[in-house]
Amino acid sequence: MTDHLSNAILNALADGELSADQLASASQHLAACPSCTSNALYQSLLKSATAKAGQRYTPPPDLTVRLARAASREDSRLQAPGFRSVPGPTSPGRFGFRSLGWAVAAVFLLAAAGLILLQHGSQRAELASAERAALVTEVFDQHVANLAGNLPPQVVSSDRHTVKPWFQGKIPFSFNLPQGLPSDTTLDGANLTYLHNEPVAQLLYSIGKHRVSIFLRQKSGATETDELATERSGFHVMDFSTNDLEGVAISDVDPARLAGLVSAVRNAQMSDQK
Amino acid sequence: MPLPWKRNAREPAPQPSPFEDLALPLLPSLYNVAFWLSRNAADAEDLVQETFLKALRGFASYEAGSNFKAWIFRILRNTYLTSRTGLAARRTVGLEDELIVDGESGPTQYPEATIDRQTPETNLLQMADRAALQAAMETLPAPLLEVILFCDVEEMKYREIATTLEIPIGTVMSRIARARMALRKALETQRPSSRESRQ
Repeated sequence: MTDHLSNAILNALADGELSADQLASASQHLAACPSCTSNALYQSLLKSATAKAGQRYTPPPDLTVRLARAASREDSRLQAPGFRSVPGPTSPGRFGFRSLGWAVAAVFLLAAAGLILLQHGSQRAELASAERAALVTEVFDQHVANLAGNLPPQVVSSDRHTVKPWFQGKIPFSFNLPQGLPSDTTLDGANLTYLHNEPVAQLLYSIGKHRVSIFLRQKSGATETDELATERSGFHVMDFSTNDLEGVAISDVDPARLAGLVSAVRNAQMSDQK
Repeated sequence: MPLPWKRNAREPAPQPSPFEDLALPLLPSLYNVAFWLSRNAADAEDLVQETFLKALRGFASYEAGSNFKAWIFRILRNTYLTSRTGLAARRTVGLEDELIVDGESGPTQYPEATIDRQTPETNLLQMADRAALQAAMETLPAPLLEVILFCDVEEMKYREIATTLEIPIGTVMSRIARARMALRKALETQRPSSRESRQ
C-alpha cells in the first residue's frame, strides 16, 4: 500500500483533532493498513507517555503562598488612588489613548447611524410614494372601468342600512355610512372589489351628475396617514384614514364638493369609535 | 480566649480576587512548563512570579469568559522569550526552526524500514522508560518542546496552542509532527546505550 496516512493525520488522530469525515476515512484506511495502524498506535502511546513524563516538576510548597501574597500586594498597589494602570502584555494601549479612540469611534458610530437613518427615511418615503402611485393607478382604473361599463352596482340602494349589511361576510372589516350627506349627494349603491389583492368596499355616490367612488379598506399600518389629494387625467383622488380604515375617493367633481363627501364618510367612521 | 466566631469576625480571611481564582489553580502547570523551558528551578520560579505579576497588572485587558489558560500561558511564553534563557534559546534554534517549519505541513511519512525494525512491544518498552523519554524531551529545541508540553501535557487543542504561541494552526501541526519525530529518533538512539547500561 503506497497511499499511507500522512504524518499530520496520524498526529491529529492521536490528538483527537480529526473531523468526523477525516476520522471515518482514517479508520477505513487503518482497517486495511498494518503499517499505518502500527504508526497510529505508536503515536498514541508516545502521546500518553509524553504526558506522564512531561509532568516532571512541581512548584515548591511555599510558592503558592508567596505568589498569593505578591498578588495581594500588587492588587492593593493597583487600587491605590493616583495609580495609573500599566497595560498588560496584550493590552492595546494606555487608558487616555484608549478613551480618545472610543470617543472617535463613538463619533463615527453616531455619524454612521445618522446616515443610515437618513437613508432609511428617504427609502421609506420613496417606498410610500411608489405605493401611493400604484394605489392611485388601481383606483383610477377601477373607477373608469366602472363608468365605462355602465354596470349597475352589485348592491343597488340609497339606504345605508341596506348597503352596509350587504358586505357582511364579504369583507374582513366593517364600516359606517354617513347619515346626512352633503347637498345634491346620493348613495347609489356599492361593489365588492379588490385593491392590491385585498377585498375592499367600493361605495358609489353621485354628486349632481358626477359619479364618485370611495374605496374603503382595512388599514395596513398602525399610524394615521396624511390626507393627500392628487389629480389624474381630470379626476381628483383624495386619501383619508381613520384608526381602522383607509379610504380613497375618486371623482371628476369639484374637489371641494368631493372633500365634503369624504369628510362625511370619515366622520361616520369616527362617530362609531366614540 | 475569644470565641471562634468572634475571632473570625475580627480577623476576616482575605478573599481571593477573581484573578487568583483563575490563576492559582494553574500554578503547577505554569511552573512545570516554566521549568522545562528555563531548565532550572530558580529561573522557573522567577518566570512564574513575573508571569503572575504581569498577568495581574494586565488582567483588565483579559476578556472575561475567554480562554484564561491560553492567555496566561501566552504571557508566560512571552516573558520566557524575553528572559536571558529564552533569548539564548532563540538565538540557537529559532531561525533554524522557522526556516523549516512553515513549509513543512505536507504528508511526511515514516519510512517503512522504521516500522519493520520496531514492534509495538519494543516501542512500549522504550516509552515506559520515563527517564529516557524525559531525556529525549530535553533534547528538543524550545519551539518543539513547548508545543509538545502544551499538546500532550497540558492537553490543549491545536487552536488553543495557536492562540498561546501566536502562530497559525498549520505551524502548530507541523511543529507537533517534528517534535514527535525528534522524540522517536532520540528514543531510538538512546536504545542501545540504555540496554548497555542495564547490562
